[in-house]
Amino acid sequence: MNRCLLCEQQIDRRPTWQGLLGVEKKQHLCVACSKSFQRADIIEEGEIFDRVHSLYDYNEAMREFFHQYKFLQDIALAAVFADDLRTILKGRKVVVPIPMHPLKRVERTFAHVDELLTRASISFHQLLDKSSTDVMGEKTREERLAMEPLFKLKEEAVIEPITYTIVDDIYTTGTTLKQAAAVLKESGAARVEAVTLIRA
Amino acid sequence: MGQPFHAAVRDFLDGRIWLRRHTPFKQDIIDRHIKEGFIQTIPGIQTTNAFLNQKRHICNRCENNDSTQFTTFQCAKCEGLCTYCRKCLKMGRVSSCTDLIIWSGEPILFPTKHTLAWNGTLTPHQQKAADELTDSTENGRPHLIHAVCGSGKTEILFPPIHQLLLAGKRVCLAAPRVDVILELEPRLKAAFPETTIVALYGGAEQKTEASQLVLATTHQLYRFRHAFDAVFVDEADAFPYTADLTLRQAVQKAAKPKAPVHYVTATPSDELLTTIKKTGSISTINRRYHGYPLPVPRYESLWNYEKQLKKGKLPQKLNEWVAARLKKREPFLVFFHHIGLMEQAEPLFQALDSRIRSVHAAHPDRKEHVQALRNKQLPGLLTTTILERGITIPNIQVAVVGAEQKIFDKGALIQIGGRVGRSVNFPSGDFVLFHNGITYAMDDAKREIGMLNKGSMGI
Repeated sequence: MNRCLLCEQQIDRRPTWQGLLGVEKKQHLCVACSKSFQRADIIEEGEIFDRVHSLYDYNEAMREFFHQYKFLQDIALAAVFADDLRTILKGRKVVVPIPMHPLKRVERTFAHVDELLTRASISFHQLLDKSSTDVMGEKTREERLAMEPLFKLKEEAVIEPITYTIVDDIYTTGTTLKQAAAVLKESGAARVEAVTLIRA
Repeated sequence: MGQPFHAAVRDFLDGRIWLRRHTPFKQDIIDRHIKEGFIQTIPGIQTTNAFLNQKRHICNRCENNDSTQFTTFQCAKCEGLCTYCRKCLKMGRVSSCTDLIIWSGEPILFPTKHTLAWNGTLTPHQQKAADELTDSTENGRPHLIHAVCGSGKTEILFPPIHQLLLAGKRVCLAAPRVDVILELEPRLKAAFPETTIVALYGGAEQKTEASQLVLATTHQLYRFRHAFDAVFVDEADAFPYTADLTLRQAVQKAAKPKAPVHYVTATPSDELLTTIKKTGSISTINRRYHGYPLPVPRYESLWNYEKQLKKGKLPQKLNEWVAARLKKREPFLVFFHHIGLMEQAEPLFQALDSRIRSVHAAHPDRKEHVQALRNKQLPGLLTTTILERGITIPNIQVAVVGAEQKIFDKGALIQIGGRVGRSVNFPSGDFVLFHNGITYAMDDAKREIGMLNKGSMGI
């Protein structure tokens, strides 16, 4: 009895050898729902962050997914993209999720980026602190670009001259990623890459 | 106790079970009512230890206890392990650290002055069923009205509902589908002009006034608790009500502990029939209110229709059927078993008449299209089983494409046929099953319609 996390339909599947041996991966979505997401693999290179890899396009299905995940607080959905994130993040040295403001986190009851990584079994290091409760989605491009620094390094954090990978859910104007990357670089990171689930 | 309670808070909350943090009132008002004992709080999720250190969870709002429908996580708010219910998630998440609130102060006193403004008359059959239903309600006994499509089921409910309202009781009329609620709302508002009536469905505007007669989708009843002196479930066999145990429990929970839950349907499931036979009583009406027989389905083979449609070709028989409807200016419905196939076929139909549209459950213009069909702005609609019940359009003609599909079981086919010939002026019409092989369900439906018709001739 396995149901699709999004449409609640039973997932029909054929018996496989992997299933018989008990090593089969658990399916979280039905075929129709997983097809509704548009895989894009957009890679951008830049000055402040060296490379951003965005996995999916931002379409209607993705908008609904994030509505249910973040607004309705359906944490179970973090499992949906676990395989994708694990594949892309496996073997990376230090994974740094974009942090949430502590008050915001209590309000939502979970940090959505952290939860995506946890479900993907990727260990991560919370090196940054978010200093404002401002929400990016509520700002215009001009407002975003003219903002005060969003992040500061955690007091106990030590940055080495190696590659860091920042993870966020969505890449829109890049303000968030740039600011986070800048903090890490100023503190001595050799290279900062980023992985985002979607590119808006 | 210090201050008295706010009437508005009581009017909204009495009979409901609501999220503490999501009421239409300011948080401090709710908090004060809790402190002074007008409102009681209960935890969102109740967790007990079960076999081998496993946990059993029950959602206090929707009473879901299916362990696969719960997710446990490390909560940043209560700083511990927290469990939430995915079943009723869309109504605002209920988790272990969420409080639900119920009204525990003085209950609302409902007015006892109501008029029944409906000035039609019930046929002897309807009258008999209405009397039996009133009698069951008085004795707190569940009752099933098993009446054929187009026998005037809604009108049968008017006298018993009126009786209850006159006694100052609170009544709920629930249906599994939004379409049914939308169709019932204007009819009941016209029938009971002095009664406060509210219609609740996903996306409906939220009101805080106390309503004595509540029309609601069965889903919305998750948010009620011990509220009603009687609940009438219309179209009791419609999906998802039949399929979903939680939904049935929710309806029971919405009724007061000893209040009866009545069912009205043309196609009761065997399960419903056996339960009611044991605990309650049944009224059967096998004659339509205008006295004409039910339309009997005719079979037309449409071999490999799926392949043809996918190739972009409208099968000839179907083409001819639609062309004939267009020529005679008869409104029509064509039922499909699958949204994808229907959307592939839509342009093929539009080649015959560009105004033909399709609707399905998630279609944004669903309401508008159905209204346009009623207003004769559209010649016909393609639809999924979403329109199988609850809609009445004079002189409508119906075709089912792929009647052999599993989704068209006996009940669905009888309901679909029930759309035809409902008005006195057009008491018959074409009801055709285009098939790729005849199934038992098709034969069962045909046989049952035949039996009902025979019965109605005999009386």
